[in-house]
Amino acid sequence: MEVTRMSSTAGQTYLDQFPAEAKVIKAAFWSSFMALAIGGLLGLVQALHRTDVLRFIDSADYYTVLTAHGVLLAITFTIFFLVGIFTWAVTTSLDRGVVDIRFTWAWYIMMVVGTILVGVSILGGVVDAIPTNADVLFTFYAPLQAHPAFYVGLVLFVVGSWLAGADWFRTWWAWRKENPDERIPLPTFMALTTTLFWYLCTLGVALSILVFLLPWSLGIVDSVNPLLTRTLFWYFGHAVVYFWLMPAYMMWYIMLPKLSGGKLFSDPLARVVFVLFLLLSTPVGIHHQYLDPGIAEGYKFIAMTNTMFLLLPSLLTAFTVVASMEHGARQRGGTGYLGWLKALPWRDPVFTGMALAGLMFAAAGFSGMINAGMNINYLVHNTWWVVGHFHLTVGTAVALTFMAAAYWFIPQVTGKELWSRRLALGQVLVWFVGMTFMSNAMHRSGLFGMPRRTAEPQYQGFDFEPAVGTVGEINAQVALGAVLLTVALAMFLLNMVMTSFNDDSDSLPANTYAGTLSGPEDSPAVLDNLKLWTAIAVVLVIVGYTLPLASIVDSGGLFGPDIGGFQLAIETDPALVLESVREVMP
Amino acid sequence: MRISKGALLVVIAVLVPFVVEFRTALSWFGIELSILESLVLGGMAVLAVVLWAVWPPNGNAEAELSGSS
Ligand code: HEM
Ligand SMILES: [Cu+2]
Repeated sequence: MEVTRMSSTAGQTYLDQFPAEAKVIKAAFWSSFMALAIGGLLGLVQALHRTDVLRFIDSADYYTVLTAHGVLLAITFTIFFLVGIFTWAVTTSLDRGVVDIRFTWAWYIMMVVGTILVGVSILGGVVDAIPTNADVLFTFYAPLQAHPAFYVGLVLFVVGSWLAGADWFRTWWAWRKENPDERIPLPTFMALTTTLFWYLCTLGVALSILVFLLPWSLGIVDSVNPLLTRTLFWYFGHAVVYFWLMPAYMMWYIMLPKLSGGKLFSDPLARVVFVLFLLLSTPVGIHHQYLDPGIAEGYKFIAMTNTMFLLLPSLLTAFTVVASMEHGARQRGGTGYLGWLKALPWRDPVFTGMALAGLMFAAAGFSGMINAGMNINYLVHNTWWVVGHFHLTVGTAVALTFMAAAYWFIPQVTGKELWSRRLALGQVLVWFVGMTFMSNAMHRSGLFGMPRRTAEPQYQGFDFEPAVGTVGEINAQVALGAVLLTVALAMFLLNMVMTSFNDDSDSLPANTYAGTLSGPEDSPAVLDNLKLWTAIAVVLVIVGYTLPLASIVDSGGLFGPDIGGFQLAIETDPALVLESVREVMP
Repeated sequence: MRISKGALLVVIAVLVPFVVEFRTALSWFGIELSILESLVLGGMAVLAVVLWAVWPPNGNAEAELSGSS
């Protein structure tokens, strides 16, 4: 059954339908692209520096660069894109605008202000004129301490995203009054369930910042419990990975089938998947702390079990999305056991980008299972393996899906035709190849113990022993991959900039998304009971976290055993630290 | 052409991870390829795919399909 689209709006772009909302979405996308541009360039700096191919920063500044890379890409780029896509999804699928566009601008501006505060306080690490320091990496573990502006900026950004969620809920409530008996349209359902677990998980990081880290960096309290703030960070830190991923999943569910020429295989299955993410995203964060002393093995085991259950919705997604693509390909005349693959629209950069992103996500699923296993995690923990893993997940499954989506969305929200589809196709392929090189080499270096987060992993009197090839080859492969990725990034940005200079076009496709083979009427109504699922999610969080948190507080105290702050650049000159480390190394 | 140029490019891109991982996988069996050997092997694989793609299909209908996107 097909979800009926409003016939009155057929043939119109998003800009025609919702001109006011389109402006906010465009602004959010451009904020996201700017973060991607700066963050990506810093990635190249890091890759070349670590591998000693080319060093044009001081090693002492490495953490400033790495903090900016992590925050700008993992937080700013992803979440700005998300709020744009979700605003599109809610308004398009409810076929009504937001309740009050001023409110929409307000949360967007709040997020921008937060970003600027965070960005400037990080920049203070390398620009002498700015008296701040925030070399704390995107995980801001105590006792590393940042300038208060960094924490305040993060809070503003997150609160902005909360208000964005409130905006989507308000829009949905308004729609429900007008359509009391209808099921929640799938894209809105996806946005709302994602928002719910975002509220749940960000409570942890808000607590960590507002009660502990911010007062501590302001000097109001003089100690924190590092294990407690770390645990609160990861309480949020795993769910945030699903927060990035959900808009990509949404694209795979509602755009890929359409682009393949068919319909979504099953609306009920998609709802089940999003409900599972609402339930399971948060009570698993301890799987990032398998190596943390101070958390009993039993709690880690529970986190591991929950994590393995989380594989289920991703496997369901793989099935549904591939089934929908096959359906589409067969609609286009594809035949054969695998021959239908040839009938897919591979020349379309939007399709190909998303499909390749999905393929890389499958590979990431395998390395993720290694990370998730408690015992085998000890082998790869804090090595470059992990960095290789998440450049496949957030760095490709998410980032490449977003870039591919932008090739469709930017024309929709600007009314201008994409500048070059060929360049776009080349871009997604270069990204895919570049990431293959970089991520493969990172995974392999992790296996022989190459640490992450270090400027100079060239140690004296010690040699890494790769299973295959040499360290030099692996470094060269990382550098090659990083250069290709940067080229792909430049191709993307060029296309976006040139597109915005294009003339207005009136031959753009209409603003639609995929219909479904099996529609919402086939799914039990209980799936739409958001209150019920939220309640269960809260219970699971309580079960998963009460005891570990209680025992952390019990053994370390709420404010820890006199842990003062440590600021990398202000209190110690890192160059001196490096020197002294060099002296003690044989 | 059996497949569109775009699709050919995609196939070549997707070959890259296979070539890269193949080298690691082979080492499990004690076969260690040098970079050059891997490059030659990869080059041959690409060549084979390109040849397959541009070879005129024996008049079967599949060829018509692929061009449409
Ligand atoms: C031009 C493309 C990119 C390059 C060359 C690149 C390179 C790197 C390198 C070399 C590191 C490791 C630094 C270290 O362990 O010392 C790193 C870390 C990281 N990258 Fe990327 N990256 C790129 C794109 C991305 C994207 C698109 C994302 C996410 C959307 C991302 C997210 C991260 C994160 C979260 C870290 C960890 C930071 C930390 O350890 O605190 N990167 N990147
Ligand atoms: Cu996780």
